[in-house]
Amino acid sequence: MRPRRCLATATVVLGSVLLAPGIETLADDRGPQIAQARPASATTSPEAGTFIVTLADRAIAGLADKEASRTDRESRFRMLLTDGFDVPHIARFVLGRYWRVASEAERTEYLQLFEDFIVHSYSQRFGEYAGENLKVAGTRNMPDGEAMVLTDLLRPSGPPVKVEWRMRRDRDSFKITDVVVEGVSMSITQRDDFSATIQRAGGRVDALLGILRDKVRTPIAN
Amino acid sequence: MVKLARRSSVLALLFSAMLLVPGCVVLDSPDKIAQVEETNDPFEPANRYIFEVNRFLDEFMLKPTAAWYNAALPQPAQDSVQRFMANLRMPWTAVNDFFQGRPERSYQAVMRFVINSTVGILGLFDVATGWGFPQHDEDAGQTFAVMGAPEGPYLMLPIFGPSNPRDTFGLVVDFLVDPVNIVGRNNGIESVSTIRGATTAIDNRNRNAAVIEDLEKRSTDFYATVRSVYRQRRDAQIQNRGEDSNYPGPRLSVEPAGRHPFIPPTRPAAQANPQN
Repeated sequence: MRPRRCLATATVVLGSVLLAPGIETLADDRGPQIAQARPASATTSPEAGTFIVTLADRAIAGLADKEASRTDRESRFRMLLTDGFDVPHIARFVLGRYWRVASEAERTEYLQLFEDFIVHSYSQRFGEYAGENLKVAGTRNMPDGEAMVLTDLLRPSGPPVKVEWRMRRDRDSFKITDVVVEGVSMSITQRDDFSATIQRAGGRVDALLGILRDKVRTPIAN
Repeated sequence: MVKLARRSSVLALLFSAMLLVPGCVVLDSPDKIAQVEETNDPFEPANRYIFEVNRFLDEFMLKPTAAWYNAALPQPAQDSVQRFMANLRMPWTAVNDFFQGRPERSYQAVMRFVINSTVGILGLFDVATGWGFPQHDEDAGQTFAVMGAPEGPYLMLPIFGPSNPRDTFGLVVDFLVDPVNIVGRNNGIESVSTIRGATTAIDNRNRNAAVIEDLEKRSTDFYATVRSVYRQRRDAQIQNRGEDSNYPGPRLSVEPAGRHPFIPPTRPAAQANPQN
């Protein structure tokens, strides 16, 4: 950092704090937005859209049961996850450049821990999506052979949430490789989180594994 | 207002002191350089400190207030609060649309403001969406980005949260030039922007309570998660991702090539998307 730039930054920040216009939250939802029909691309793949709708229906059917025990819910969620998502691919991406420096044993443990971590941290909330409706707003083939499905998650109250599903062909079906919610990629967010943890531990992948071990062992409240 | 300003200047002093301490990072290894470029956060130690202060303020002020707001107002009333605040942003959004070279969106914003302020009873109801004028938001920070201003390093502002020099300057301009703020000041309501900011913050905090809780639960380093989400979200807002009628489709990458899940990190960065 050049000192002059530091100084300029400090000045700007000082100015803004003095002239504080109000308060902004970190997860700023900038008001309601409305679903719009997106122009159909010449190379859409409707099967990709069907795949998402089918998966969503299965998820709602399987997880809407509020009476199900936690272990029951988790095992159903795990089945959906491994069926519909390319979990090892996502796991490798999320570890980023540390995948290359990880030892064979660390990689093996990480792949298992990552799946457990996703199941552990997503299955609880998932049951609450019952009553919400996923509407496919468009599909598009990506240059690298992947497909992107744009959906609007319609909620009982409030504006729809835009969710983009990125997926690649897997024989006669698809595997999801990323979910982008209102422009925020789950994979990128998780990767930035993991690499910060590893980096702060001096580049030790083991530090992350320790945290993940603790996380998947901690029972979720509620 | 004076009291607020005095308190702010103490914070500002503290903050600028924090800024100058970590000052300039020593880049002594390629890995460190890659990390710094990726996170764009040369003031990380200071930013982390401010982040903790903000979390404290959130835990003991914003979060309880939002919970109280949630208990006091039924959902339809909360939705009206959100629509009312969104409607007040429309004139300034229209100005920003114009400076972003998007007169059709500017027209849309003006029509929304006119329709919802009248038929929608001061903006408490949203009639305009049904009439073909959907909601969108623009601010000065986004306009500077469209004009080509670089974002600069990541900054964690006290109270205001994640930012960067471009968005920080945008906040100042929003405060000074937003027509609703000007009208308020000219009519003796000096604190109009503070009230707007606080109300929007409380409504947003309440609306996003579950999202924030989940993000924290899924993170191993909450600071890094918030930084990542802020930068991605801002980028999507700048591009009007998903809301433009001539939206070219999702970009291959929201970040420099090679950072996206579907370009393996080992592949050379030459894989630029023609859409970018």
